[in-house]
Amino acid sequence: MRRSRSLAVASALLCAALATAGCGLGAGDGVGEVSLTVTRDFGTEHLAAPAAEAVSESDTVMRVLDRNVAIESSYGGAFVQSIDGLRGDRHDGRPYDWFFYVNGLWSPVGAADYPLRGGDRIWWDYRDWSASTRVSALVGAWPQPFADGYEGDRHPTAVECLGESAACARVEGRLRDAGATLTAPGTEGAIRVLVGPWGRLRKDATAAALEDGPEASGIYAEFVRIGGAYRLQGLDEGGEPAREFGPDAGLVAATRRYGAPPVWIVSGSSAAGVRAAAGLLDAEHLRDHFALATEAAEETPLPIPEGVGR
Amino acid sequence: MRSPFAYVPRSGPLQSASPGAAVAYLGALVAVAFLYSSPLVLAAAGVAAALAGRTAGARRAVRAALRMGLSLAMLIVVVNALVVNRGETVLVRLGDLPLLGRVDITAEALAAGAVIGLRAAVAMVGFAVYSACVDPDRVLRALRPIAGRSALTAALISRLVPVAAADAARLRDASRLRGPAAAPLGRAALVRRLTAGSLDRAVDVAATLELRGYSIPARPRRSLARLSPPWGADTLNRSRYDRRFYATGAVVAIAAVAGGADTLNRSRYDRRFYATGAVVAIAAVAGKLLGADGFHAYPTVALGLEPATVVLSLLLVLSGLAPRRRSSTRNRNA
Repeated sequence: MRRSRSLAVASALLCAALATAGCGLGAGDGVGEVSLTVTRDFGTEHLAAPAAEAVSESDTVMRVLDRNVAIESSYGGAFVQSIDGLRGDRHDGRPYDWFFYVNGLWSPVGAADYPLRGGDRIWWDYRDWSASTRVSALVGAWPQPFADGYEGDRHPTAVECLGESAACARVEGRLRDAGATLTAPGTEGAIRVLVGPWGRLRKDATAAALEDGPEASGIYAEFVRIGGAYRLQGLDEGGEPAREFGPDAGLVAATRRYGAPPVWIVSGSSAAGVRAAAGLLDAEHLRDHFALATEAAEETPLPIPEGVGR
Repeated sequence: MRSPFAYVPRSGPLQSASPGAAVAYLGALVAVAFLYSSPLVLAAAGVAAALAGRTAGARRAVRAALRMGLSLAMLIVVVNALVVNRGETVLVRLGDLPLLGRVDITAEALAAGAVIGLRAAVAMVGFAVYSACVDPDRVLRALRPIAGRSALTAALISRLVPVAAADAARLRDASRLRGPAAAPLGRAALVRRLTAGSLDRAVDVAATLELRGYSIPARPRRSLARLSPPWGADTLNRSRYDRRFYATGAVVAIAAVAGGADTLNRSRYDRRFYATGAVVAIAAVAGKLLGADGFHAYPTVALGLEPATVVLSLLLVLSGLAPRRRSSTRNRNA
C-alpha cells in the first residue's frame, strides 16, 4: 500500500517536472512565421520560390527545409547533402557546398539543432567556398538581425559614427524604421554598425579584417591604397580582384569574429561613397545579397561573378 | 547449469563442418547485418541466423540471444530517441532536460534506433549460434599454425574460466549446506577465495607447461642476413613483376588460412557452408550495388522495397536452412 502510494507520488512529481520543462505531445504551439530562401552562387540565382510558413516550437531549420524542398542528408540526418538534387561537389576544381544563414548570420550549430522563432529568415546558399570557408555574416536578410535579433535573443544596435554625420543620421533613421533598438556605442552584446570613410573605419580591429581578404573577413571586397587614397575593389568568387571602383564608391557589408556580435560596415572611399552606402540600407537594395557596392547610383552585388567585372 | 551459449557436441552438419566453413557461413550473415540498414534485409538476416541455430539444434542459444538482443535493441531505441532530436515527425516534446538539453522524441529517431538495435540483435544471434555450434578446440587447432602462443592462451582461458565458474558453484553450494542459521557468504569473500584458487591453479598449469617443454626457446633459424628477403635487402634487384607475385602469394595465403588451415579436419559439409557463405556475400554486395538498401531514417523515414531487396531477403532466409541435415539415401529408399 505504502509502496503504491510512493509510486503514485513519484509519478505525479515526474509529470509535474516534465510539464514545467515544457513537454507535450506533437510539434507544439505555433511561434510565428519564418521565411525560407534557397539560392546558389552567393544569392545570384533562386532555386526555389521564397517561402513563408508558420512554425511550431519544436521546429528546426532542417525541418522547415525538408517540408519545402527535397533534401538528402548524411551523418545521421545532421548534414544536408543535397537540395533538389544539387549536392556538395567540385565544379571546375572548386569546392561547392550548401551553407545556411539565419537572420543573416552563419549558424554556429547544425541545421537539425537550430530552433526557430517567429520572424526568422532562413537562407540556404550553394556556393564556391574556395576563397572563404566561412562567410560569417551577410546583409541580405535586412531588416534582420536588427529587428528580431539572432540565435534566439534580441540585441540592441549601436551605431558608431566615424565621420560623415549626415550618413550616420541616415543610418540611424533606417535602423529605427526597421525596428532596431538603438543604444550607445560600447554597449555589451550590441550589434555594431560602423559608419564612416574607410580611412577611419580601418582602425577598428573587426573592420580591419577586410584588408586581409575574404578568408579573414568573409567579405568579397577590399580597400586598396592608391595614391594616398583608399579605393574599393570588388572580388570574384575565387577571391581574386574583379573590379576596381571609382573614388566615390560605397560599400555595405557585414562580418563577425567568433561568437562576438555581428559588425556591419557602411563605408566608402570618400564622404560621397559613405553617403551612397547609407542610402542602400533597405530591403529593396540589400535583399538576397551577401554584400553590396555602389558607385554612381549603380549597385554591384558582391562577390562579382567571374568574367563580369573587367 | 551450462550457459546457453556453451558449445554442445552434436552430429549436425554445422557442428561437423570445419571452423573455417562455419565462420564463412555465419560471418556472411553477420556481415550483411553490418552492411545493410534496410529493416527487411536485417530481419531476413536475423531470421536466417535464428533458423540456422534452430536447425543445428542450438535452440537455447538462439532463444537466449534473441532475449538479450531484443532487450539491447529496446535500450538502443530509447537512448537514440532521447539523444537524437533529428527527424521531421515530432511525437513528444520533453522540453529542456539536464545534460540532454532540448529533447524532442521523433518518429525518425525511433526508427533509426530500431534499425541499430535490430542490427545488434542479428549480430548477437549470429555469434550465439557460432558459440553453441562451433567446437572451440577445433577453432584453436586451426589457429595454431598462425598464432601458436595466442591459441595456447585462448585454449587455457577457455578451459580455466569454466573451471572457475564450477568452483564458484561448488563454494556457493558448500555455503548453503552450512544451514539457514549460518551467516550468508558475501560476494567479496567468494571472489577472494576464487582468485586465490585461480592463482594456485595458474601456477600449477605454468609448472606443467614448463615440464612439457613450452619454455624452451625455438631452434634458431638460419641467419636472416644470408637469406634474400622479399623486402628491403634486395632493393636494387627488384622487378616490376614483384608486386604482382607478392599480391598473388598474399591472396593464396589468405585463402589457405581461411579455407584450408585445418585441412586434416575437413568435413563433407564444408563445401555447402563455404558455398552458402559465398552466395550470401556476393548477393549482399550485388544487392548493395543494385540499390537493395533503400532505407533512410532522416529527415523522414523512407523505406524502399525494390525487387532486389525482396530477392535478397528471400535468399537470406533460405540460407538459414544450410545446416539442415539431408534425409539419407537409405531412408529415402525405405
